[in-house]
Amino acid sequence: MPHKTFFWFILPSVVAMILFIALPIASVVIQSVYVEHERVLVEVENCGPFGCSTEVRVDTEATEQLRSEQPLGRFNGLGTYLNRAHLAVEEVGTIVSTSASIGEALTRIYNLPFYKAFLFTLIYCFVVTPLGIMLGFTIALAVNTIPRLLKGPVIFFSLLPMIITPLIGSLILYWMFSSNGILGATLQTLFNDPTLTLRQSPALTWITLLVYGVWTAAPFSFVVFYAGLQTVPGDTLESAMIDGASRWERVRFVIIPHLAPLATFVGLVQLMDNFRVFEPIVGFSSEASATSLSWLVFNDLVGQDSQAFGSAAATSVITILGVVILLTPVLIRTWRDFNAKGA
Amino acid sequence: MAQIRLKNVCKRWGSFVGVDNFDLEIPDREFLVLLGPSGCGKTTTMRMIAGLETVTEGEIWLGDRMVNKLEPKDRDISMVFQSYGLYPNMTVYENIRFPLRVRRIPKEEHDKRVMRAAEMVELTDFLHRRPAALSGGQRQRVALARAIVREPNAFLMDEPLSNLDAKLRVSTRAQIKNLHHTLKTTTIYVTHDQIEAMTLADRVVVMNKGVVQQVGTPTEIYDTPANTFVAGFIGSPAMNLIAGTMKDGVFSGQNISVSGFNKSIAGEVTLGFRAEDANVATEGGEISAPIYSIELLGEATMISMRVAGELVSIKAAKDFRAEIGDTISASVPAGICHLFDSKTGARIEQD
Amino acid sequence: MSASVGKQPLYLKAAISGFVILWLIVAAFPFLWTVWGSFKVEADFFSRVGWWNAIVGTRTELQTGSPFTGDGYYGAWVTRDFWRAVVNTGIVTISVTAISLVLGTLGGYALARSGHKYAFWILIAALVFRAMPHITLVSGYLLPFFELNIWGHLATSIIVLVAINQPFTLWMLHSFFLSIPKDLDESAMVDGCTRFQAFRLVVIPVMWPGVITTGLFSFLLAYNDFAVTSMLLSQDNQTMVPKISSFLGSIQEQGNVMYAVAAVVSATVPLFILVLFFQRQIVSGLTAGAVKG
Repeated sequence: MPHKTFFWFILPSVVAMILFIALPIASVVIQSVYVEHERVLVEVENCGPFGCSTEVRVDTEATEQLRSEQPLGRFNGLGTYLNRAHLAVEEVGTIVSTSASIGEALTRIYNLPFYKAFLFTLIYCFVVTPLGIMLGFTIALAVNTIPRLLKGPVIFFSLLPMIITPLIGSLILYWMFSSNGILGATLQTLFNDPTLTLRQSPALTWITLLVYGVWTAAPFSFVVFYAGLQTVPGDTLESAMIDGASRWERVRFVIIPHLAPLATFVGLVQLMDNFRVFEPIVGFSSEASATSLSWLVFNDLVGQDSQAFGSAAATSVITILGVVILLTPVLIRTWRDFNAKGA
Repeated sequence: MAQIRLKNVCKRWGSFVGVDNFDLEIPDREFLVLLGPSGCGKTTTMRMIAGLETVTEGEIWLGDRMVNKLEPKDRDISMVFQSYGLYPNMTVYENIRFPLRVRRIPKEEHDKRVMRAAEMVELTDFLHRRPAALSGGQRQRVALARAIVREPNAFLMDEPLSNLDAKLRVSTRAQIKNLHHTLKTTTIYVTHDQIEAMTLADRVVVMNKGVVQQVGTPTEIYDTPANTFVAGFIGSPAMNLIAGTMKDGVFSGQNISVSGFNKSIAGEVTLGFRAEDANVATEGGEISAPIYSIELLGEATMISMRVAGELVSIKAAKDFRAEIGDTISASVPAGICHLFDSKTGARIEQD
Repeated sequence: MSASVGKQPLYLKAAISGFVILWLIVAAFPFLWTVWGSFKVEADFFSRVGWWNAIVGTRTELQTGSPFTGDGYYGAWVTRDFWRAVVNTGIVTISVTAISLVLGTLGGYALARSGHKYAFWILIAALVFRAMPHITLVSGYLLPFFELNIWGHLATSIIVLVAINQPFTLWMLHSFFLSIPKDLDESAMVDGCTRFQAFRLVVIPVMWPGVITTGLFSFLLAYNDFAVTSMLLSQDNQTMVPKISSFLGSIQEQGNVMYAVAAVVSATVPLFILVLFFQRQIVSGLTAGAVKG
């Protein structure tokens, strides 16, 4: 296709992506090195009947004016990145030097908001992804053997947890897991512990969040693997049978190798998606026990009195870096595929 | 109707050379076949003529227009694709009419021209079917009808028969030949099948690795191949090629010794001869070797023997019988032999 | 594959059936439970007594005189104006899907038919963009949007969602276009079409299945979005998902949770219908990305 034709075809789409994806990323990077203006303070001399006193007051007008003149705020360099709400370099330094044991140091670091969110994000990513893939694979194997007539309805119900709006899905599970909901109440009876509630037990919150993650992630793996199973070469499978492979050996030596490339793909996609985990934190109102990087950004943006753009931007930049690191293997793979195709 | 000229046409992708310095004049009404193995640049050449591929270097002239920069639609050529390129959402009738529709040819003429084209390829019974409901041969004929409905300057055909089964291929081949005879439109036809090339072409261009090897009538190409590549590509079975040494007018190698050549030729050469030119001799033939395999073809018997490291085929009478391993003798007189330079592969003229 | 020869032993059959049934319960029960519960009062759905109440509706009968009540739905749709959010969602999702498809088919077609290196780089960039967390993009929008005074409007959200959607749409349509033989558009061009005519008259009519599948996923993305719509829309323009989340903000009020439950069920219904009718396309879309991606 000539360059000119290509240009006109791709133009609208590229303009949209540059304006609303590339520029915002640039905007985030810029915002992250600025911080909100401090309020303008003035010294006012108050002279009353009992003499004069000076008083420091907020000059609302001047503050407003300053804010509207320079909406970005003032330049702060990497200050926002290093402060307590983000990488907390100073605090971590103090913790490392004053803690008696590594365990204590880690616990104290974990209590810093950024590290708390970061840890949960990572754990969510690396627990939900493999579990989702394994569950999806098992379902695919099982569904593949049931009578054809039942497959349609089973796939229908299996798709639901995946296509459900994440916020709505997490609300549905949250209501069931809340102490008066069916699952929450059952758990209390089961463990005979009336204080076992989402609000009071961080462990339970973590587990329900992970359960939610696997619940929504498994159908995707299931669908992909199920489609992959339809393309397993029948000849290979039959020759494995003739060679004397048992049912399990056939799965192990024919089916799994056949599906391995798909599994890599699913794994990488889900890893990236899970790294963005956000809605469940809102849905489960779990911010007291578990937060994620995306949620930190959200929290800064909906801040009660003023929106902390600088802080949100700094967290965003760190999150983007994380995504890019997770993305590298995908990029390398695509690059290799492309070169192989070209040659 | 127009003649086509390619002036030193090159196609390169980065450092990869697709077509190298293709220079040819195709007179009006000629049926030209581009022949070569896959990846030899024949399809690329055709696509450059069609305007589907840009030309890196050189010029392409259709009639008196230089068309390098023209869009395919402005070149007034039509093309039949290997997988036909039929529009699956349109009926056969609409498929054939499509070129008229997009070229804004007056509506009144459409029906007449579509029907005429459909008649030529015997499709009138299928006009209201979709391509999916047709057999391979019928689809092929729709593609042909779509190409001829417009009466273009030239037809380009890219391996149009390769997706058909053997029997259909023969009858469609005859149909294409007949169409060309009726319409007399300049036709360029790409194929890797040398039988198609031989039967259809006025002239054949043999290509390999982007380079033209030989241009000539089918007889010329068959009788006087310009180099070992053409010799080994044309004919079924291909020409036997044997490496050996020439000294004092005698070619010799393992199991073979042929005398009677021009004495001025000496050194390493490649000797070639066709299976049907050689004969089984009772005794004292130029080749003497044990039989490697023997195949009954019906009208003849094909014997292969190992000569100078190569398997050499010789066509014997259909009632010839022998066992594998029997040593036999074959007569290969100098008169039926072709000589090629062993390094460049180029033909060595003997006169 | 194992239907004819490898007859399963009975225990395996039982295990598989058991597992499938278990999975179905896990996958579907939460929805059934919530739908059923949405017709009860809060005291039943979140019963302190026992979950059996939620099934039979003891308190619901006491409070309303019937074991089922539409109070939650009435409260959400009428009292709290959920219908307005539904209308907004309709506008946003339909516009996003339509615009995404128009831009995406053009771009995806160009990418599928261009062999140049830059096409590959655009695809790579799209891959990186697709992985960006939406909320981080939102944090990039807010300040400029406030300054430009375009914050809060439906149109802004639509354009933003279209853009966020583009990388995915491009990839998916690109792989669908790749599966359409090049011969088709080339023969159209030789027959006398410009590139755009070939695209419109010949390629698009064949592309419908791919366009529908991609449209479904664009629809889902716009419908399911929370990050963009909750941050970029003003109170009046809210779509369903942020509206539901705002119900939760005032959860202390008696009965409000049931508004949210009713709204959640209402918002789930279109998704149910979508899967019911387009199950095959969704499955093929997911696998198309996987097999070729």
